[in-house]
Amino acid sequence: MLDLQALTKAVGDLDEPKVLDMLKEFVATNPSSEETEAVVSACQKGMGIVGDLFDAKEYFVGDLIFAGELLNSALDILKPVMSVESNVKSGKIVLATVEGDLHDIGKNIFKSMSEAAGFEVHDLGIDVPASTFVEKVKEIKPEILGMSGVLTLALDSMKKTVDALKEAGLRDEVKVIIGGNPVTEEACRMIGADAFTTNAAEGVKMCQQWVS
Amino acid sequence: MTDANALAQERTQLFHDLIDGKIPKRVPIAMGFPIEFAIKYAGKDLTEAQWDTSHLEETFDKVCQDFYSDLLPVNAFRFPSFYKLLGARNFVMGSSGFLQHPEIEGMAREDYDDFIANPYDCIVEKILPRIYTELNTDANTRAMTMAKAFKAFFDEMGNAQATYGRLIEKYGYGRVNFFAGFTEAPLDFVADQLRGFKGISTDIRRMPDKVEAAAEAATPIMIKKGIPAIPPSKYNAVFIPLHMAPFMRTSDFERFYWPTFKRLVDALAEAGYPSNLFVEQDWMRYLDYLYELPENTIMRFEYGDPKLVKEKLGKKHIISGFYPLSLLKTGTKQQCIDKAKELIDILAPGGKYFFDFDKAPVTLDSINVENARAVLDYVANNANY
Repeated sequence: MLDLQALTKAVGDLDEPKVLDMLKEFVATNPSSEETEAVVSACQKGMGIVGDLFDAKEYFVGDLIFAGELLNSALDILKPVMSVESNVKSGKIVLATVEGDLHDIGKNIFKSMSEAAGFEVHDLGIDVPASTFVEKVKEIKPEILGMSGVLTLALDSMKKTVDALKEAGLRDEVKVIIGGNPVTEEACRMIGADAFTTNAAEGVKMCQQWVS
Repeated sequence: MTDANALAQERTQLFHDLIDGKIPKRVPIAMGFPIEFAIKYAGKDLTEAQWDTSHLEETFDKVCQDFYSDLLPVNAFRFPSFYKLLGARNFVMGSSGFLQHPEIEGMAREDYDDFIANPYDCIVEKILPRIYTELNTDANTRAMTMAKAFKAFFDEMGNAQATYGRLIEKYGYGRVNFFAGFTEAPLDFVADQLRGFKGISTDIRRMPDKVEAAAEAATPIMIKKGIPAIPPSKYNAVFIPLHMAPFMRTSDFERFYWPTFKRLVDALAEAGYPSNLFVEQDWMRYLDYLYELPENTIMRFEYGDPKLVKEKLGKKHIISGFYPLSLLKTGTKQQCIDKAKELIDILAPGGKYFFDFDKAPVTLDSINVENARAVLDYVANNANY
């Protein structure tokens, strides 16, 4: 069995070669699903360290992006030994950049990090109108709806989406989190979202609290 | 002498003093309202108006009438016509009518070696057809598409230039130009147009030597691109918006960003053109580096500590920015004016400062226009030395 603490540390250090080597060796031992779950959880703890180092201004946005990539390659290696049960997710998030806005870097970072934290993320892409959010919420029944945007006009689109959820009688079914450059406490109130953040790592923590 | 001419002389003098290291009569103001703002401000439909530039003068004129600035306060960097003709993936119009820059990958990871060996050929042969889908075809069609796009580009930009000239004449704006040329820091170019933010952030970890070499290879092209088609003058600067540095660790910045960027700014200065940097996001970690750039580099800051910047850079370089655009949206008129006063008290002593906001208002609803007007009028009437 591999050293879980060392794995967590290697993920936190963003030491990709070391992480991948450890995981390849692990997969070669034909591990049980419990063992695999422990390894996935060790990786997720490593992502927690990445988030903490970002908060401490030792890591920057470029590091968060790479952390997401690193986790994707780690999960690719683990996939063959992950059982169906170990795929049980901690919650579902419907996520998109709102209508009128095409920026997706922030959204993508949040997506990677929330997937790393065990969420099942349905990414609707960019420039997504309120009606598409509503349809997807009906279909997926997520615990959380995430909206992202960089332009100021994104705030209006976010409000439109929340209003459309209310109209469809779905607003109380989901927690709404908004993220991106223009979001503020005031904007959050005006839009009727449950939470706002300009920090992807912090956003993931909020989502985890909601589903715990 | 006409009024506009007298005004132009006075305003030009403010900027000459700024650049010559003398204390100007008053804090000069250089505002920039982009075309999207101007169109909405003129009450026109953004999606349509960007296509029909025959209204450009009337649209820009309204901004010139209503907002104080000592230099021409309007600009248009991009029009949809040429991007559409090229089938651009790097600048795409969203449903709201805004031309935006989505994350693209114009260069594959496997292409680094090609790019490093011969960047120009690699751009023309491999990268352009990936970024511009209409160029991804046979040689004849490609040549025709390129010709049409360049015709559109020169028509639109020529029209815009002529409009600028008439407005400068009409309103007596100062005769210095902070946007005489345009280029990018070499690593920003490799990130923005070739590998994307995600690609470059990943490559820096997985293939650092190649990223470093690619920035090196891009440098001569960025220098050539930056040199404007007008004779050198210390009063005409080359605009360089800065992107990646604040999102990188300092050790990565030192290796991948700074050396080629410094070489670019030095080379432009040697050729006789100062650089006008938009110091995007928070650069407070890098002030000692910025100090090393050639004297009188223009730096407009978005975020950070104005006191520290004035102290560290204010004697050598020309500083601007810091005024939070968001305050214009949320603050009262008095709060907005007080903020201008606070920044002027910090940044103006000793000269080498001109007034501008921390970023350009791209959308009409990003500011309260009454507040913006009040702040600009306040600076124009009260920021005397």
